[in-house]
Amino acid sequence: MDVATRVIMGSVKKAIQVSTAAAVVVEAIKGDATLVKDIADRRFKLSFGSDYGAVEVQLGNTRVLAKVSCEVIRPFSDKPTEGFLMFNTELSPMASAAFEVGRQTDEEVLVSRLIEKAMRRSRALDTEGLCIVAGEKVWSIRVDIHFLDHDGNLVDAACIAAITALQHFRRPDVTVVGEEVTIHSLEQRNPVPLSIHHIPICVTFAFFDNGEHVLVDPTHLEEQIKEGDMTITMNVHKEVCALSKAGGIPMEVDQILQCSKIATVKAAEITAQIEEALAADAKKR
Amino acid sequence: GSSVLCSVVGPAEVKIRDEKLDKATLDVVARPLVGLPGVKDKAREQAIRETLEPLVLSGLHPRTGIQIVVQTMKDDGCVLSTAFNATILALLDAGIPLKSILGSVTCIIDSKTNQILLDPTTEELALAKSTHVFVFDNKTSVSSTQQENDNMDQDNADSALGAVLFSDSTGLFTEEEYFECAQVCFKATQAVHGFIRTAVQKKLEKEYQQIQA
Repeated sequence: MDVATRVIMGSVKKAIQVSTAAAVVVEAIKGDATLVKDIADRRFKLSFGSDYGAVEVQLGNTRVLAKVSCEVIRPFSDKPTEGFLMFNTELSPMASAAFEVGRQTDEEVLVSRLIEKAMRRSRALDTEGLCIVAGEKVWSIRVDIHFLDHDGNLVDAACIAAITALQHFRRPDVTVVGEEVTIHSLEQRNPVPLSIHHIPICVTFAFFDNGEHVLVDPTHLEEQIKEGDMTITMNVHKEVCALSKAGGIPMEVDQILQCSKIATVKAAEITAQIEEALAADAKKR
Repeated sequence: GSSVLCSVVGPAEVKIRDEKLDKATLDVVARPLVGLPGVKDKAREQAIRETLEPLVLSGLHPRTGIQIVVQTMKDDGCVLSTAFNATILALLDAGIPLKSILGSVTCIIDSKTNQILLDPTTEELALAKSTHVFVFDNKTSVSSTQQENDNMDQDNADSALGAVLFSDSTGLFTEEEYFECAQVCFKATQAVHGFIRTAVQKKLEKEYQQIQA
């Protein structure tokens, strides 16, 4: 079989897979009386690297790696006591052959903006605590999120990875005596954790069958046949950090409220799991 | 130690402007762990692409593209060597036809002791007088029995250099030091080839068992 035929066969197989999946998904949901699929469907696994701030999340077949690093730089002149928090969520062709280098697809832009909204705008990290010398030296925290495998729901996985990495990260200890600033190396003094106000967790929902059925944590196949989606970012204190519904079919208000209730439960579950994993890793060190 | 994750997709569709009429097009993307890709990553991409282009039997898949993505997972020195080894394993796993296998080893000459150190860490690299990255293919073997015989040593040296696919050296070093490093790395690469062989063997055994089950 030559390459051209193989490529066509590949895309035909994909089309059959997608339409079969649509039928299967709808049938499965119709068969079950409940409106929403079982919440505890895809468990996620956390693994930490040997360096501080390196976390890998595995959500089914979706794999995301987050790495936190820090640097001392000059702050903006209009915000002399604020540090910086930067996210880099460039998707590489490793995650999916659909992603190209240098060209951002709509999905990439949405993922990037959702992470920014969930993490930065919700003020999860205390940027004032990153100040060393007002107007001169502040910490700039950089979170690089690498998508290793795409099987749907990149946002949720990236969010878990990012917030866990920020909690796991330790920055070098600093002493300021008058004008003199000493940044201690990791051997001299134990590094210090970042001050995190709250832990935002993203929960993504996908809508099917004209808004009749809602799926939590959609896989890649489910994402391709969805009619609409919504991401709610919440923390354990039942505060909504962000709500994103960019396009797709319109939903009723009561459906959105029900989704937010599910998001509350999920956020609590995920936060508990993250804390457990962090405690287990701390013991190992 | 360092860790690199490599993914290979291909032979697959390629953009018309990158299409080659009689060969497969190799596209390598190297991503660092921290920060945006820079000049170092571009250099890494070029090294991997130019070393692999003659190895891949691209004539068997004309007008297609093979996309290789190399992601650094942990950086503690020798990332280029690790990337080379990861890439060849990924190509084998993807079933891309190859002329031969490659293996890569990095060595440094320490500035204080003048010793040759293999697989240096970031700390050791900082104290190096010169750093050498070698990539060897597996077509020539090392003759292990005749080490006293001068003629055989010369043969070994020749076979080491005959098998070089890629060599990158930085720092201050003499010609003798360079050839000595090549020899040492060549011997060390045999271990890398052995590891690749074992890895592929284990994978095939597992797959065979899965088919039987």
